[in-house]
Amino acid sequence: MKDYRAVVQANREIAEGIFELTLSLPEEVKVRAGQFAEISAGGAHLLRRPFAVCKAEGKEITVCFQRRGEGTRLLASTGAGERLNVLLPLGNGFYLREEEKKIALVGGGVGIFPMISVLREYAEKKEISAYIGFRSASAVCGLEELNRASRLVAVTDDGSYGEKMNAVQAFEGDLRRGLRPDVALACGPLPMLRALKGVLEREKIPGFVSLEERMGCGIGACLVCVCNLTNGEHARVCRDGPVFAVGDVEL
Amino acid sequence: MADLSVELCGVKLKNPVIAASGTFGFGREFDELYDIGVLGGVSTKGLTPRPRQGNPVPRIAEARGVILNAVGLQNPGVEHFIENDLAWLKGKGTAVIANVAGSTLEEYAGICARLDGLADIVELNISCPNVKRGGMAFGIRPESVREVTAAAKAALKSTPLMVKLSPNVESIAANAAAAEEGGADAVSLVNTFTGMAIDVERRRPVLANNTGGVSGAGIRPIAVRMVFEAAQAVHIPVVGMGGITCAEDAVEFLLAGAAAVQVGTANFTDPMACPKIIEGLGRWCDAHGVRKVSELTGALRLN
Ligand SMILES: Cc1cc2nc3c(=O)[nH]c(=O)nc-3n(C[C@H](O)[C@H](O)[C@H](O)COP(=O)(O)O)c2cc1C
Ligand code: FES
Repeated sequence: MKDYRAVVQANREIAEGIFELTLSLPEEVKVRAGQFAEISAGGAHLLRRPFAVCKAEGKEITVCFQRRGEGTRLLASTGAGERLNVLLPLGNGFYLREEEKKIALVGGGVGIFPMISVLREYAEKKEISAYIGFRSASAVCGLEELNRASRLVAVTDDGSYGEKMNAVQAFEGDLRRGLRPDVALACGPLPMLRALKGVLEREKIPGFVSLEERMGCGIGACLVCVCNLTNGEHARVCRDGPVFAVGDVEL
Repeated sequence: MADLSVELCGVKLKNPVIAASGTFGFGREFDELYDIGVLGGVSTKGLTPRPRQGNPVPRIAEARGVILNAVGLQNPGVEHFIENDLAWLKGKGTAVIANVAGSTLEEYAGICARLDGLADIVELNISCPNVKRGGMAFGIRPESVREVTAAAKAALKSTPLMVKLSPNVESIAANAAAAEEGGADAVSLVNTFTGMAIDVERRRPVLANNTGGVSGAGIRPIAVRMVFEAAQAVHIPVVGMGGITCAEDAVEFLLAGAAAVQVGTANFTDPMACPKIIEGLGRWCDAHGVRKVSELTGALRLN
């Protein structure tokens, strides 16, 4: 990991309140699927914000985020040519083993963006089915990238795009049809991850989830971002995660 | 190039910039970003006699110019630190300041005795509740500041004692003087100010712990005033902190009377903050004709 002074190449709104920010770094950085970056939007007066790196190509990286609080509002208003400090690559990321051939990706909300990084790293090597949930048609984005999957099921909470259901229900639908993955990878809101954990335990399918937590340092030093492990210990989401085996964490 | 070295209760520091407790772990993660041997010192995460799990999350909240934290002293315990991190940290060539906490006088004395002769300096975090006295923090009243300092001092035969003062008090000057009377070799301040941030949509505090410690850029003027008052009240060295983000901020604390400074929250907003501040201090001194940074300590001219 290293702290870079990056230049904004492009910043555009790809869906309602969702931005795609492309940064150019002074050197090429190897980023694994599911790893993240801490981006500074407000200098010394605002904490950095952690974002999954969707794409890393050459010296360019892309992150996507939803405009929510002060930090993301500031980031949303940065334009091409502006400079931002970026610390990366952070966290462990998703790692697929050789024998894991059929992969299910389950993503909801901004949790779809780490799924894009998995597709970019593994789409050519694995048979991937992606189950992606959006709030509504106005939030739909990233389809071009998501279409790298062998099978893409995109749904919305209100039925305004695709079927009216959530990503976990879409995944369960395929399970009923006999489409069973060797492993499932997921990122999304906690209720979604909890529902998924129930399904994976019932079906005895191994799974990995990428967690979100408020962060201080982002590198494992301050113990601000912990989650509870099932063995009673605490783990640092930023350093020991953000990806955990679904059976190892309390959701 | 100006001489940045300073002496702090008999310990020579390369420069007056110390990474503040709780923001820097034991230095290992930051050492992946830069050689932490460049630092004047590292104050460790607060150590307790036994491992502690800390508070539930969220443990951090943000308000304009400040953050609030309620980590709850999660740490692996002093034995784990001694076994796994101390030798490595000493090997980095930076002063090792072991920040310690306890919930009884006996615990403070015990953990100090354990670190005596091992750490370069022991920093006593006295902002912890005294479980035998109804939970009021040791650091609130001058009498209990004196008492806990004396208990710690008695347990330290060779390692100097620095007492970290809480700012949530009636008189910082009285508490600094009480630490000196108790036998402290130095005082450091400020620890965090108790605060609360509320999520108005949910009508709930943001922190799971409801309240937390406020730190970061926004507390600096209050911290500077307190360091000034403490430095007026004692003859031992004062280490200043609270909201330092750049070299000029550090100079402000030195002028107010600090012999060295600590940098906490700035490590989050910029992980390279400490080395940048050290470089900036050198440039500042050169640009202002200051040959030794220690000349700045207390060089404030009041209006
Ligand atoms: C996340 C966090 C954890 C902290 N943990 C400790 C601790 O364990 N012991 C201690 O004495 N101070 C602790 N502090 C207080 C800092 O060392 C420092 O006194 C305070 O943050 C003010 O400095 P700053 O504004 O530069 O951060 C902590 C601060 C933060 C932000
Ligand atoms: S954010 Fe500091 S340990 Fe994870």
